[in-house]
Amino acid sequence: MLNARVRKTFRSGGADAERFTGASAGEPFTLDVEFQAPPGVTILFGASGAGKTQTLKSIAGLVRPDSGLVAVDGEVLFDSERRINVPVSRRRAGYVFQNLALFPHMTALENVEFATVSLPRRERRAKAAELLERFGVGHAALRRPREISGGEAQRVALARALASDPRLLLLDEPLSALDEPVKLGIINDLKELNAALRLPILYVTHSRDEALALGERALVFERGRVVAEGEPHEVFGAPRTTSVARLTGVENIFAGRVLSRSESAGTMTVELLGREGESCRVEVPLTRARDSERVTVAVRSGDILIATEKPHGISARNVLAGRVARVEQRSEQTLVGVECGVVWVASVTRQSLRELEIEVGKPVWLAFKTYSCRILDEA
Amino acid sequence: MKGLDLFPLWLSLRVAVVSTTFVVIIGVALAWLLARKRFFGREALDALVTLPLVMPPTVLGYYLLVLLGRGGPAGRLYESLTGDQLVFTWRGAVVAASVGALPLMLKTARAAIASVDTQFEEAARTLGKSEWQVFRRVTLPLASRGILAAAMLAFARSLGDFGATLMVAGNIPGRTQTAAIAIYDATQAGRDAEAVTLVLILSLVAFALLYATNRLAAANIK
Repeated sequence: MLNARVRKTFRSGGADAERFTGASAGEPFTLDVEFQAPPGVTILFGASGAGKTQTLKSIAGLVRPDSGLVAVDGEVLFDSERRINVPVSRRRAGYVFQNLALFPHMTALENVEFATVSLPRRERRAKAAELLERFGVGHAALRRPREISGGEAQRVALARALASDPRLLLLDEPLSALDEPVKLGIINDLKELNAALRLPILYVTHSRDEALALGERALVFERGRVVAEGEPHEVFGAPRTTSVARLTGVENIFAGRVLSRSESAGTMTVELLGREGESCRVEVPLTRARDSERVTVAVRSGDILIATEKPHGISARNVLAGRVARVEQRSEQTLVGVECGVVWVASVTRQSLRELEIEVGKPVWLAFKTYSCRILDEA
Repeated sequence: MKGLDLFPLWLSLRVAVVSTTFVVIIGVALAWLLARKRFFGREALDALVTLPLVMPPTVLGYYLLVLLGRGGPAGRLYESLTGDQLVFTWRGAVVAASVGALPLMLKTARAAIASVDTQFEEAARTLGKSEWQVFRRVTLPLASRGILAAAMLAFARSLGDFGATLMVAGNIPGRTQTAAIAIYDATQAGRDAEAVTLVLILSLVAFALLYATNRLAAANIK
């Protein structure tokens, strides 16, 4: 179990701000987080500059918090009140840097062997070779970091972090630079590793897919604070606040006003306010919001269907007529913006886009369920 | 030309080798300190060590003479430890050459160490390595080309020191007369052939060293 409470203010312009890319110019940035991480993968999720990397570095001892406490399995590594600050080299925190930081002057094997400090000299090389085998990169043992692929380098970095016999693993966006198939392979390796080791693993990412694939718990970071935590499906599937909804990729977030409530049906009608006095009515799940109260409605783009004719005989309670306002190609999907008083964003596959002949100006209908709409806690 | 006296060349070589050894050890330690540690007076220390680069060699020699002389603090310490004196010996020449070469060593080595990405050092620390191991296994190898180039510059500088060496070690043929001083001596006495030979040899060595240094620096960039 890892306990972490970290508070640190990064002054802009100083050496800290330089290292801390997220701080906007001229504004000090305060990191203020507190959490526990049991054995297993805990995702630190958030936009870049939210303080995730600085949190990892504080736990590893590479950054010194202004105040706080870091303890692993009851052993205190940092305590500002008791003036305890265990040096990095004695914290046994395996760290995989975003750019891996494999030593360029050593082969893959030497990189891993270098980390096997806890073993007698004679056993080190064998242990290093065994770890490389285990990560499927035994064939790259005698090559230097610049001579191996990104995926291989990633595996060597993981093997190296494990070679130091860590008590916890800190992974800083370990897969961000890799192609999708390579990523999936390593995610599977990480899952096996996690099942075998049962160490606290902190995994920094801003990819929802990685978070959902790996995480047992997730912490959502925003501007130096943890704004949500829980199981990844909980946190990502049903974001409770606007900021978490934005961070976790909910594309449709609108402010509105409750028009009417139906206790018997368990629903209420909300008028969403668009630009220039336009509006759009939707049916959403009933909450404690009173009549005329302002609420925020969120809908995932993936929960909205597009039809080129008015749908009949459909269970979805929200059917809106509109016109395609824009079409935006993303890597895996296409986002279609539809003007119906407010601009809704629906995601479709390229194939649907072609078959439905969706283009700007085309009249379309949107359909989504009452329960695809979420009422968020705050504006 | 009757047999050239090889003693000055041999003495210069010996002075340069010993001086470079000192300069590399002290220079790398100082360079690491200046490149990696923040402490009060950091830039003042850099300026102090760099001073010999811009001071007239005779001014430097004068300071050294006062410090190392039989009445000076360093001279007395040395004499009480070894029973020997520093000034007007080849060891004095080593000190003079070292002080002259240290700034070159320091500047180049500091830049080489500063150019090593600190993330490699941080990574080594997270892997449980002590500060000494981080330095020896990561920083030093990654800065090695720059440090080697720095050492060669220091060697070339030590080999040719004139002003400060003359002040501290004097011009005693067969004892403290280095090649650079022998050239001056030969020119003054009209032994032109001897002077020209030494001039050519020293020029060639300096050129070769600089050429090699540049090659190293270029390889480092790649």
